[in-house]
Amino acid sequence: MTVTTLTVVDIEVLAHDAGLHPEVCERLIRLGLLDGPPFAVDAASQLARAARLRRDLGLGWSGAVFACELLRRIDDLEAQVRRYNREG
Amino acid sequence: MAVGHPDHYETLGVPRDASTEDIRSAYRKLAREYHPDVNKSPGAEDRFKEVSEAYEVLRDDEKRAQYDRPSPPPDAGFRNGGGTRTVDFDDLGDFGDIFGRGGGRGFSRRGGDQEALLELSLEEAARGGRKKITLGDGRDYDVNIPPGVSDGQRIRLAGEGAPGMGGGPRGDLLLRVRVRPHPRFRVDGRDLYTDLPVTPSEAALGATVPVRTLDGASISLKVPPGSSSGRKLRLRGQGMPGGDLYATVMIHVPKKLSEDERKAYERLAAVSGFDPRKERR
Repeated sequence: MTVTTLTVVDIEVLAHDAGLHPEVCERLIRLGLLDGPPFAVDAASQLARAARLRRDLGLGWSGAVFACELLRRIDDLEAQVRRYNREG
Repeated sequence: MAVGHPDHYETLGVPRDASTEDIRSAYRKLAREYHPDVNKSPGAEDRFKEVSEAYEVLRDDEKRAQYDRPSPPPDAGFRNGGGTRTVDFDDLGDFGDIFGRGGGRGFSRRGGDQEALLELSLEEAARGGRKKITLGDGRDYDVNIPPGVSDGQRIRLAGEGAPGMGGGPRGDLLLRVRVRPHPRFRVDGRDLYTDLPVTPSEAALGATVPVRTLDGASISLKVPPGSSSGRKLRLRGQGMPGGDLYATVMIHVPKKLSEDERKAYERLAAVSGFDPRKERR
């Protein structure tokens, strides 16, 4: 079972860790990128990833959030496939 | 930080006369394929960096024109349209006399300038100082960064570019500064801007609150009574060198009120005649 550790993170701290302005973080959270507070421990990296995808792929904010969601699902599916292959 | 001479057009897979739109389209396609957040395979990140570097140059008309301008490559030959073409000296005709030293058959020409990206944090850009960098080809430099260097500025390392031809001097190495965005500070010229969260009572009654400056120091700032959100308070000399820091008042209210707070706000609402929308009517 995968356990996600949740931790209460102040938005300013989150923004600092993600290297983003707090307003950008709030915007991404409003668009549904993250659940919380409390936020997951990888919240800052998710915010940074959305910002990178937006910048590098020419996406809008909503598009970046959508891309992150799809990538997250792909990661989950790939992890399931790996587990399935290991268990034979 | 890599310095080299990849052909940016080849990297993006576009012809030399490609339109800006074609270049953008080619970049987006490759970025979607090789973006390290999308593609975890080895080599994808390096490929994405190459693609990004090429796009950075070719998307900008001025940089593209500069890139397209013929300049000598690291070895013999001219760089033409970004690619490297070896030119037989006989093809040069009388140019050998023009550039040659002593009017003989010798031909010399200064080596081309090379450019590399130097990423700095805002703190590093403000503070300046020495920074050790290693280029992609293994060359190490101890670079002196002038305090207050700005995004896009170039630091020139004279004689560290491509070797010259026929005994000509080396070109220069230009380090193009990129200042990473800061989570708390925005830069405008020499000035810095930061948000200053205050409580409603601090904004109404005035208060002395701590403000963290770029160098990490905490400075006491007097918020005058009656400060609304958006009011900018200047901290002289606390910006980039030669600039100021502006703290923008941002009134924050608690998301949840205690019982006592709620009662206090209700009493205030009952006695206050203040109407911030009055002037809009």
